[in-house]
Amino acid sequence: MTREQIRKTEGFIALTLSTLAAFMGLFWLVFILGDVLVHGIKALKLSLFLNDPAPPGVEGGGLRNAFVGQLLITVCATLIGVPVGVLGGTFLAEYARGRGIARIISILSDIMVSVPSIVIGTFIYAVLVRPIGHFSGWAGAVALSIIMIPVVLRTTEDMLSLVPWTLREAAFALGAPYYKVITQVVYRGAATGILTGILLSIARVAGETAPLLFTSFNNSFFSLDMKQPVASLTVTIFQYAMGPYDNWHAQAWAAAFVITVFILLLTITGRLIIRWRYK
Amino acid sequence: MAGKIELEVKGLDFYYAGDVHALKKINLTVYKNAVTSLIGPSGCGKTTLLRCFNRMHDLYPGNRYQGEVIFQGDNILSGGTDLINLRSRIGMVFQKPTPFPMSIFDNIAYGLKLKGVRKRADLSERVEKALVHSALWDEVKDKLNASAYALSGGQQQRLVIARALAVNPEVLLFDEPTSALDPISTAKIEELAAVLKKEVTIVIVTHNMQQAARISDWTGFLMLGELIEFDKTDRIFTAPSEKLTEDYVTGRFG
Amino acid sequence: MPRTAKKNPVDNIFSLVTAAASFSVIILIIGILYVLLSESSLAIGKFGIWKFLSSTDWDPVKESFGALTNVYGTAFTTLLSLVIAIPVAIGIAIFVTEISPNFLKGPIGAAIELLAAIPSIIYGMWGLFTLSPIMSNHIEPFLKKIFGSVPLVGILFQGTPMGIDILTASVILSIMIIPFTASISRDSFNLTPSVVKESAYAIGATKWEVVKNVVIPYSKLGVFGGIVLSLGRALGETMAVAFVLGNNHRITTSLFDAAATITVTLANEFTEADTDIYLSSLFYLALVLFVMSFITLAIAKFFLLRAEKKYSR
Repeated sequence: MTREQIRKTEGFIALTLSTLAAFMGLFWLVFILGDVLVHGIKALKLSLFLNDPAPPGVEGGGLRNAFVGQLLITVCATLIGVPVGVLGGTFLAEYARGRGIARIISILSDIMVSVPSIVIGTFIYAVLVRPIGHFSGWAGAVALSIIMIPVVLRTTEDMLSLVPWTLREAAFALGAPYYKVITQVVYRGAATGILTGILLSIARVAGETAPLLFTSFNNSFFSLDMKQPVASLTVTIFQYAMGPYDNWHAQAWAAAFVITVFILLLTITGRLIIRWRYK
Repeated sequence: MAGKIELEVKGLDFYYAGDVHALKKINLTVYKNAVTSLIGPSGCGKTTLLRCFNRMHDLYPGNRYQGEVIFQGDNILSGGTDLINLRSRIGMVFQKPTPFPMSIFDNIAYGLKLKGVRKRADLSERVEKALVHSALWDEVKDKLNASAYALSGGQQQRLVIARALAVNPEVLLFDEPTSALDPISTAKIEELAAVLKKEVTIVIVTHNMQQAARISDWTGFLMLGELIEFDKTDRIFTAPSEKLTEDYVTGRFG
Repeated sequence: MPRTAKKNPVDNIFSLVTAAASFSVIILIIGILYVLLSESSLAIGKFGIWKFLSSTDWDPVKESFGALTNVYGTAFTTLLSLVIAIPVAIGIAIFVTEISPNFLKGPIGAAIELLAAIPSIIYGMWGLFTLSPIMSNHIEPFLKKIFGSVPLVGILFQGTPMGIDILTASVILSIMIIPFTASISRDSFNLTPSVVKESAYAIGATKWEVVKNVVIPYSKLGVFGGIVLSLGRALGETMAVAFVLGNNHRITTSLFDAAATITVTLANEFTEADTDIYLSSLFYLALVLFVMSFITLAIAKFFLLRAEKKYSR
């Protein structure tokens, strides 16, 4: 082979491998999603949403408690995490814009986004579970909100920074104080972006399991009391999948299917909004 | 003065993706060991034409050529052309300096290594020769292992020229090589072109009419994708046969 | 920021509220560190720092605890998953930026992002029910047959392939981190100026040579930052590995052995800890994990920021 042929062969091999890698990525996605789909739909019944769990080993029953509990915890986490995150992001992008402290908080938030969620679970256990004496829905919600805050804070900061400075100047020129400029003009300009960030942060925490293990724990009964242990889909999936009964496995697949569809829909919606709004 | 022919463009049409007709029926001859400049207002197609000569347009999908560009008897626009080989014979220098993220030495040795030059001694010799050629040797001989980014803009541009020269190309394409440089660096590059044409054929796209007048032997004037006039440089600038050319070179538009 | 001579009182309050909200991030980090330190003080007092980190004991009955088996398991699975993930992720990034026809770029990019959005519990469960049997029935026996008797490398492929082991856990982890590494690499690759790539093509480089010699060196800071970020994520991943790693507090050398990571130990034992020193040791483990991943993520951020600065010049 001539030198040029060797170079071309090497290139061909490398590029073929890259292409294979890309299709491997696709393959995993299809494999995992397909699996969840096939097993999940098979186990999906209306009774799953209407009944509470049957005693271990007994056929039948559903996961009504876990669906409702998951919703409750996620909604409460959102109610805590979103205001803190949006306001915090506002400080970074507006009042502290360009200052060192904004940069530090921004960097620390980026790190916090990836801090192991199970560590946050142990932290909440120490401050909200042990002092009270028992697991509670609130503890779970607070744990999730801690994961949410840095995510929302960073997207808010980015989205507010995208709003042109001249827009603010125009509002100042009318004599508006800064808080009015922010709440009435800047927020409006960045609303879609912030909303998308919130959607994606909900998608992020809705699938979290680790921080709930020692906070909201689990509850085999239907309960709306956030001061008591509350069941969640994710912890239930963990418990059922690791358990010995076939119908538990089936229900775990069904729950996995529901939560995956929910999260992917949120994610896709978020991405579509970004594409539609910012391209 | 018309010597041997290096490149012959026959009835060239070029379409960008989406059927934008960027070059229309271009006929032009590039003579060996001469400097040919392409001038014209922005968007006239001069850079597009230049990038046909090394098939740069092939990097982006959807672009389409029609017609012929004959280089040493072969139509380089034909499907069977080996682009890797073509580009190592027709080098190119861009508007902004484009050093690779490597040392000064490695930047120049890169093309040689691609061609299979492996021995350190051979590499050193040819790197030095290229640097001397591009009038950069005295400035960098003590820091060949420094990053290429440490050089000034004018030095980087001469480094890039040295890199193109190192592989002994037959043609060198310049795409507005001095538009990002200061006057002193520009003068150095222009002097270089005059020296280099003894060994390579040069095609240069320029915005600067004085530059074209100073350094080139032949000049083509393009407008809206058409070659309005092609002739010896002194004729283009003193006695053009087309009214449009006259208007342009006397600064009445563009 | 505009500074007006007379501050509006509402504006003052609003700015203080937003400031408090953003300082919550700092307070949380300090709070987590403080709480973990004080909760683990009992164990720190009893086992010290070096002894805890270097001891392989994990014995609730004798109340003797050390972190080494957990740190070892975490390091082993994380590094192995990176070894699997990095080439695939870089391959994906090369495909998307340099090879793929335009109409495929979108779908492949979207697929990669969806892969990142799937919650880790789904990965874990899928690993337990689907991947683990495939590993134990097909892939692991195959690997054992090929490498099991090769000197040196063979140590990695001893024992009965059960599918609940380091290899399966690492494969799942790698599938989880591929999207992060791939998308950061892709973004870094895209920052290579096309004119620099063109000038490599212009001296006759092939596409692969352009990628290898220009694009990758040009974007190495960003790619490296992405890899370290993935490492930080993998360190703290719990649910994806909890299903398929077993919970084995021993130092093992075979990929077919069960093991324990810090996260898996926490997930399995935290609610069962019945003595103060047991619970305190678990908090100590959480502290070790927090510090490890915080430092890793900070390093990743440092490289990503430097990359950003370099490209914006």
